[in-house]
Amino acid sequence: MKKTSKLLMAAVTLLFAVVYSTNASAQAGKKADKDTKLWRYEVQCVGVGNEGTKLIKVFSYSKKADIAIEQAKKNAVHAMIFQGFNGNSGSGCPTQKPLTDNPALEQEKADFFDAFFADGGKYMKFVSVSGDGQVAAEDRMKVGKEYKIGVVVSVMYDLLRKDLEAAGIVKGLTSGF
Amino acid sequence: MNKKIILLLCSLLLIVNIGFSQAKKPTIMVLPSDVWCNTNGFMMEFDNQGTKVKIPDYKKAFQESADLLNVISKINGLMADRGFPLKNAESSLKSLEGESAENAMLTSKNGGSVAESPVDKLKKTAKADIIMQLTWTVNTTGPKKSITFNLQGLDAYTDKQVATAVGTGAPSFSAELAVLLEEAVLAHLDGFNSSLQKHFEDMFANGREIIVRVKKFDSWDGDLEKDFGGKELGDVIEGWMTANCVKGRFSTTDATENMMLFEQVRIPLYDASGKATDARGFCKELQKFLQAPPYSITNKLMMKGLGQATIVLGDK
Repeated sequence: MKKTSKLLMAAVTLLFAVVYSTNASAQAGKKADKDTKLWRYEVQCVGVGNEGTKLIKVFSYSKKADIAIEQAKKNAVHAMIFQGFNGNSGSGCPTQKPLTDNPALEQEKADFFDAFFADGGKYMKFVSVSGDGQVAAEDRMKVGKEYKIGVVVSVMYDLLRKDLEAAGIVKGLTSGF
Repeated sequence: MNKKIILLLCSLLLIVNIGFSQAKKPTIMVLPSDVWCNTNGFMMEFDNQGTKVKIPDYKKAFQESADLLNVISKINGLMADRGFPLKNAESSLKSLEGESAENAMLTSKNGGSVAESPVDKLKKTAKADIIMQLTWTVNTTGPKKSITFNLQGLDAYTDKQVATAVGTGAPSFSAELAVLLEEAVLAHLDGFNSSLQKHFEDMFANGREIIVRVKKFDSWDGDLEKDFGGKELGDVIEGWMTANCVKGRFSTTDATENMMLFEQVRIPLYDASGKATDARGFCKELQKFLQAPPYSITNKLMMKGLGQATIVLGDK
């Protein structure tokens, strides 16, 4: 009887631990999502990618390093649409303007972007982590209570642009002709 | 009853026509810049009344520089992918040569040949509405090589630079020139297209920018200072421009009794019937206005592409 109750206690503790960790992870993910929406990330160009792609390093913030890595993908696509990035003469990157110059577009098309940037959303089609998501030692920094993690990602820029043009979110070069 | 139905159908057709009418799409062509041609020895020199003049020899450049062909081909491919296939300068030059030969040989059954004025001959050049002017230089520092790449979008009529992308690529020890050039095109074309799109957006918002020239034939006894009801002809033309330009926007750059030059003329993209229009369409209205009483001035209208038109007063 004693043995059974001990086993039961252990099972309950394990269940609590799993629920807590899942919840904490979800909370951290939500926090990271919030950070993305506040444009709390930094982007650096790493080099000229293959045709139709952009190779960038995204620094994301999170209390958990693995969430920051996952969030980097979302931030990279977000940056391409809303922020662009500065040129980097060392790597031969010119300055890249964002796909939209309308700062209110995210609010105006909130329905589209909420679904687009949801966990597992369409944004994942246009980005991949370069080098298996390995983070260089100098790109892993502890800033206060959270991590600032730099991950190199490749964004399928041309596909992303075409998709947004087809959805009527951004204008194409031939719009109106 | 039938009349009403026909009228309704006509109105619907007009609405559909206006709704689906598209602005006239500018043509774009890539050409090497004078600097590039000069640096690489693709220039022609001729004596213009005692002054030595150098002009780029595009034909020789296309025939002898494989790098130039590769760069143009890459740009053409990427632009076609953006829905903007470019005019190929090399093919345009060949077409012009072919057409000249054909015109020289063409005779009618009664022995007539193709009419061609000196102005027609002068206009026979490879042309586009926007020229993508290309320059690159190879920088060498010890064993390292890099490319400085410059792509300028020039409006063929207003001479304004409407788009640009310029920068130096990453230095490399081992990459071949062709690879560095391809990388430069990939790096810079998106930036170029962003600025080109800004130009198009401005055009849709504020009208197409054109140049209008008014001249007179010396055989005409009038001039631009001729008085019509207390107003000089030049003022009458300026008044018409104010009334017909988008938001009345134009600049009178030059005005004498013999000529007027209007720059930064913003014309609507569509005429009153909803049809896409250009410099010629816009100036046709001015031509009609001047031909009608009380002015009754016979005049000749000439055009150059989408963005330049000249009206010559006094004759056809």
